[in-house]
Amino acid sequence: SFFSGELCRTLMATNAPIPGGSGEIPPITPSRPIIPEAPSEISASSNSLQPPPSSSDTYRIYIPSYSRWFSWNEINECEVRSLPELFDSRSSSKNPRVYLYLRNSIIKQYRDEHPNKISFTDVRRTLVGDVVSIRRVFDFLDSWGLINYSSSASAKPLKWDDKEAVASEPPSTVKESAKRICNGCKSVCSVACFASEKYELTLCARCYVRGNYRVGINSSEFKRVELSEESKTGWSEKETLLLLEAVMHYGDDWKKVASHVTGRTEKDCVSQFVKLPFGEQFAKDSDSEDALETFNQIKGSADPESEGRVKDGSSSPDNKRMKLTPLADASNPIMAQAAFLSALAGTKVAEAAARAAVTALSDIDHEAGKNAGGDPNGQEINGNNSERAVAEAKSLLEKEEKEVEGAIREIVEVEMMKIRDRIVHFEKLDLEMERSRKQLEEMKNLLFSDQLNIFFHTRRSRKAEDRAEC
Amino acid sequence: MKVSGSTNWKGPVKFRMPTAENLVPIRLDIQFEGQRYKDAFTWNPSDADNEIAIFARRTVKDLKLPPAFFTQISQSIQSQLADFRAYEGQDMYTGEKIIPIKLDLRVNHTLIKDQFLWDLNNFESDPEEFARTLCKDLGVEDPEVGPAVAFAIREQLYEIAVQSVSSARESRLSKKSRRGSDYGSASKASGLSMDLVKLFSFKSSVVRKRKDLDVYEPMVDLLTNEEVDALEAREERHAR
Repeated sequence: SFFSGELCRTLMATNAPIPGGSGEIPPITPSRPIIPEAPSEISASSNSLQPPPSSSDTYRIYIPSYSRWFSWNEINECEVRSLPELFDSRSSSKNPRVYLYLRNSIIKQYRDEHPNKISFTDVRRTLVGDVVSIRRVFDFLDSWGLINYSSSASAKPLKWDDKEAVASEPPSTVKESAKRICNGCKSVCSVACFASEKYELTLCARCYVRGNYRVGINSSEFKRVELSEESKTGWSEKETLLLLEAVMHYGDDWKKVASHVTGRTEKDCVSQFVKLPFGEQFAKDSDSEDALETFNQIKGSADPESEGRVKDGSSSPDNKRMKLTPLADASNPIMAQAAFLSALAGTKVAEAAARAAVTALSDIDHEAGKNAGGDPNGQEINGNNSERAVAEAKSLLEKEEKEVEGAIREIVEVEMMKIRDRIVHFEKLDLEMERSRKQLEEMKNLLFSDQLNIFFHTRRSRKAEDRAEC
Repeated sequence: MKVSGSTNWKGPVKFRMPTAENLVPIRLDIQFEGQRYKDAFTWNPSDADNEIAIFARRTVKDLKLPPAFFTQISQSIQSQLADFRAYEGQDMYTGEKIIPIKLDLRVNHTLIKDQFLWDLNNFESDPEEFARTLCKDLGVEDPEVGPAVAFAIREQLYEIAVQSVSSARESRLSKKSRRGSDYGSASKASGLSMDLVKLFSFKSSVVRKRKDLDVYEPMVDLLTNEEVDALEAREERHAR
């Protein structure tokens, strides 16, 4: 036999388990309908967002949008580029026909197994051909997401560079292994913590702010270490999508959002949401202050001390001056809270938040002033705003005009080059014509001289004849 | 058309697989720490050697074998390839060889028994194509049977090619005559091949004798799970 029993059984397990009488080979027919494999009907999705996984997930095959070129009966340029040895006809066993056969068989096999993944060994057992070529085609399809592509894959597309993929993998594994426990309160640190190398201490932000460490140590000897929550838990694309959906539906009700995103606490949801690059757009509906408030509320709700004091925490312009030496204000609970929050978020974020809060406050003030009876200051500021908008529009217009000019210039250049090439071509032709004409002249001359010679010869011979006769 | 020995003499050919694609059959059977790994596949000898390590690593990873298998697999592949390459420089005489190829293999639940004649001289032959057609015609549904059949054919062809190399060496050493027909008879002496002359002479017909019909007919059997288990147990006992 070719396969040991153990391997044999594992292979049978991966085949479509259709119950039949004993003695039947489990036929390799798809046990679930697959959408007909015309390229246009394969649901292509962008590589970051996917439709929510419903029960129909096993009935649909997704491929990433950058693999949209795939077609069953054709070979695309990128395939030729990636697998040159199969197309350079160096050996008779490596040609496009074989490539098509291998590629299509592998993809068919994957789709039969979907949503299970197939491994290279599964595939090469069923394909006729040398294993190295099979492996190359398999790796190519894998990196382009045409096989083994599932929405839970959190890795970035690997198609470009193997180095990139290799580089992106180790950091995530390294990060996950580092979990920090605070020396002061023995709790797991999240988001940010403070570490002192000199004394080998790690403190969570709370302990640091409270001064919960040994007497002899100065607060300035601590360095802030950012701990990305993502590394510990790794928000997958699916979860991100759920989160966005939930936020759109439920808005600010983070409890419902958290329940929609299975497996994440409210705090996680909010922090992840804020971290998303466009999180601010969603927050624009409400006041920026409101968003911060809710953020702080959630953050603060985990902390027993902060109930009811959150509002003031966000608007603290004095925090601009705040360095990492909050000990002086530890007595004031409000300031301690503010210090804690700003230490947690980092100086830059705290600054930005404070500035935004100040602008919001001043806007509100001005609006209130306007309503109270046309405060000239308010109008001025509004006028400034509209002036600024006009100036921006003008600059955009100028930019566009410049671009158009540049494009026209390029077009003109290209046309000129075309004309120049044509002129050169004509000149060449002209030269050829001259040459041919000269040749013709020469030949005419030769012909004439030949004719003359013959004429003289005949005359001479006739004269000789006449003389002979006489 | 009169068939005479001398006109059919073919000069010595550099050793290679007598098929359209010069692929080497590689068989692995490694036992280590109670785990047995058996496998068979074809390898292209013109591929770089670092492919061996890549393939071994992939296989170990996919089948979740203990990492010690990695070196064993690489070494086994390496040595089989080296054997093949050792033969490659030498000559082989193929003569007028039509050889019977026998299939007797079990792949998962399918049992195949078959015998057919194969022309060793046809360097454009394609065992893979044959295997594909065989499976299609016999309605074999298990996709792993095709490659297994192709592999079996290739293995036998490899054996015979190797034999013809060694027989060429022997005949060169022993016989000094330059007559081409002698080489043909030397290959006949191996006992496996059939003489075309005898087969297609005007006296006999091309139609096979009735008693040979059964031998040359393919037989495909589907086994039940119990039969498979029984066979496997018997094989293991034999192996030990």
